[in-house]
Amino acid sequence: MSEPEGNSKQSEAGAGLMQYSAEGMMPFGPVHPSLKEPEYFKLYLEGEKIVQVVPRIGYVHRGIERAAQERTWVKNIYLFERICGICSFHHSLSYTEGVEALAPFEIPRRAQYLRELVAEFERIHSHLLWLGLLGHWAGFDTLFMWIWKDREHILDLEEAISGNRVNKSYTTLGGVRNDLPDNLAEKSRTEVNYLEKRAEYYKSLVQSEETLSVRTKGRGRISQETARKLCPVGPLLRCTGIARDIRDEDPYAAYGDVPPQVQTENDGDIASLMTLRLNEVTDSCRMVKETLEKMPSGPFRVNFPRSVPAGESTFHVEAPRGELFYFVKSAGGSVPERVKVRTSTMANILTATEMLKGHTLADVPVVLTGMDPCFGCMDRVAVVDVDKSREWTIGGEELRRYGIEYYRRK
Amino acid sequence: MTKMPRKKVGGALGEMFRTVLERPVTVQYPFGKVAVTERFRGKLDIDPVKCTGCSICEIVCPAGVITMVPVGKKVVGSREVDIKRPTFDLYTCISCGQCVDDCKFGALALNHDFELAVFKKESLKMTKGLKIGK
Amino acid sequence: MDPIQVVELLLFPGLTFFVWLAFLFEWLERKTAARMQGRRGPVVTGPFGLLQPVADFFKLAAKEEIVPAEADTFVLTWGPALYFAAPAIGIAFIPVIGYQSVLYNPLDLLFMLFVLSFSTLMATLLGYAAAGRYSTIAIGRLVVQYTSYEVPLLIAMVTPAVLAGSLSIEGIVAAQGSVWYILLAPVAFAIFVIATLAELEKPPFDIPTASTEIVGGWMTEFSGNALAYIKLTKNLSYVFLSALAVSLFLGGAGGPVLTANADLQALAYTCYFLIKLFAVGFLIFAIRTALARVRIDQAARLFWTVMAPLSILQLALAVLIR
Repeated sequence: MSEPEGNSKQSEAGAGLMQYSAEGMMPFGPVHPSLKEPEYFKLYLEGEKIVQVVPRIGYVHRGIERAAQERTWVKNIYLFERICGICSFHHSLSYTEGVEALAPFEIPRRAQYLRELVAEFERIHSHLLWLGLLGHWAGFDTLFMWIWKDREHILDLEEAISGNRVNKSYTTLGGVRNDLPDNLAEKSRTEVNYLEKRAEYYKSLVQSEETLSVRTKGRGRISQETARKLCPVGPLLRCTGIARDIRDEDPYAAYGDVPPQVQTENDGDIASLMTLRLNEVTDSCRMVKETLEKMPSGPFRVNFPRSVPAGESTFHVEAPRGELFYFVKSAGGSVPERVKVRTSTMANILTATEMLKGHTLADVPVVLTGMDPCFGCMDRVAVVDVDKSREWTIGGEELRRYGIEYYRRK
Repeated sequence: MTKMPRKKVGGALGEMFRTVLERPVTVQYPFGKVAVTERFRGKLDIDPVKCTGCSICEIVCPAGVITMVPVGKKVVGSREVDIKRPTFDLYTCISCGQCVDDCKFGALALNHDFELAVFKKESLKMTKGLKIGK
Repeated sequence: MDPIQVVELLLFPGLTFFVWLAFLFEWLERKTAARMQGRRGPVVTGPFGLLQPVADFFKLAAKEEIVPAEADTFVLTWGPALYFAAPAIGIAFIPVIGYQSVLYNPLDLLFMLFVLSFSTLMATLLGYAAAGRYSTIAIGRLVVQYTSYEVPLLIAMVTPAVLAGSLSIEGIVAAQGSVWYILLAPVAFAIFVIATLAELEKPPFDIPTASTEIVGGWMTEFSGNALAYIKLTKNLSYVFLSALAVSLFLGGAGGPVLTANADLQALAYTCYFLIKLFAVGFLIFAIRTALARVRIDQAARLFWTVMAPLSILQLALAVLIR
């Protein structure tokens, strides 16, 4: 990695029309029309080409893990689902499954199926949201409007099932809060059929539309070796050809009975990410229909004790963005002793900054969006960089160097 | 993988013109409203008749909306204890419905009201539950 | 210059008329883009939201103007006025109410070319004077984009001149009495329209003002009055270039003679002009809504490798036809 100071001198000298600030650095964020949550990326540019990206996280850090230590187990469900609006259900799902693992209860099968149903709805809605935003940031507002119009179908469906569109509060300790009557099952089938057709249309549109392809094909490419070195998760990993999906490897909820078909693409660029996510939407639609067919009858909820037995448990789920990991520690009381969250964007952010090298400024929104960033999710684990890097060995070398340079330059 | 469609510019044109002929999806709120679904979680409401003052709702609320206040006294066994009834600060309520789920007497419900904008925070304090129902 | 000409220049079919047309074009653009996306567009201000662009103009004019510390205040104060002046004087040369325009010069096509370069020059100057980080990147892109589209645009504009044998817009309009040049030189028309998208910084060529990448492009540091006029000028350029396309390729205000009464006939001519103007405008909106934004190097490559040779070919064809 080249020294930033050297770069800045080069930029200043050879720039011509481009006169930057003394550091030769272009700040992207924290507030920028292209980021839906604030995050600070220092882009070191030579002309319009990016040579280095230094992320600085922590702008949305809200102290949620600390707040969780003062609230009872049930109250924490509502806390954790508000970490992120887009993958909200997966946060509450991972938390409840993590806590339920500490107690010697068997959660009813019907509840697991219902959890999988709503989880797949959330995956569909998240991927559609992402694709619409990608269109918007590539300058293709029409695609954005259309996709979000279709996304309304899913959101209305989620409201019908759980009572709210975004923070669904659907799972609870011991099962789910509402049952699924037949008319809602019928409605789900109709909506996913509609969405399957739309996903096909969007797939053909994004693959054939030339002005979108030139922005996404070959952009933000990562190779399999880079992926193995930097350990991204979720669609970002699967688009390089590595087929890893938590739902497949370590099934939770009802994924053992209704498994996903793990989708991969081989190119590792943004265009393949678009295709991959649309394929996942189609696959989720298929899984929804299969879940509705195989849904067992029975109770959807059991009583759960107020105090959870002492112990530690870890649980991971495949959120729309990748692996979401919860560590729950109980001391036997009515409040948790420690809950730690490691979200997918935290794992992906270094890969994203690596993806940006060599690209021009025009590619930054598209490439950065490619990893489907959710900084709200990520910032809860925003400890001081240098500190974090010591604990994280994979990819830690680069993070460590970033951290050290950052503090040296400060 | 399906075969890639031929690259062209303006693939969206067909859909564009079709969309022009359809009705726009914009709902011109407040002149038009979107119907909410049956399970929609809106504003909290209490039926004072059913409330017994057990305080479970205060204990389980994640947002600290409910405060039990003493409204009288009764004799239980050999002691005199307070009769408590809940007041709600709906400004803080997140409409999660935990209190609704946990109330054994079915006194609480979330209705479909979502237009909760007010000029003063105090307007959203609900003291309906203080009446001791018959 | 007699008083009637002054009135014409300022009111109809001069500045005021075109400024209102500019507002109308913005409204039309927002409405059609919205409908194509399944939305409604402006609905509140005025009937059908017609007064929305006017309301936006006055809102901006009423806001405080914040000038960055390093910026060149002289340029920032007078620059927008000059930027506005460029298409404002250009429109006086376009025949609207008949075969005659308000101002005439035998070489006014060359003056149109000057107007186009001048407005880009002023935009660059304004972006440079604003001295913000985003503005400097934007003007780099603006200059690259301008140099790329200028050559095909010039050649496309000269093609009707060659076909008509005249360098004045009036002459070109008059020579289209029998057949419109869009039929004789369709490639030139297509190139003109595409280059117009680049000149107006509309998708797919809105790179210099890519709001999702460099905030506002070269307009980032402007606010208040200056921004109001800059936006108005952009809309005016939109009308101006569409009017130019109509005059050069679609026969201007020409059309069947309906009555012998000179005033009513002028009205008829104006109607023909407006119909053709809206047709071209609508074509530009449709293209703009359907496409995403390309990168600057891709745009440059498109113009140099595809458009420029095509335009030269078309010119050669035109010479042969003539």
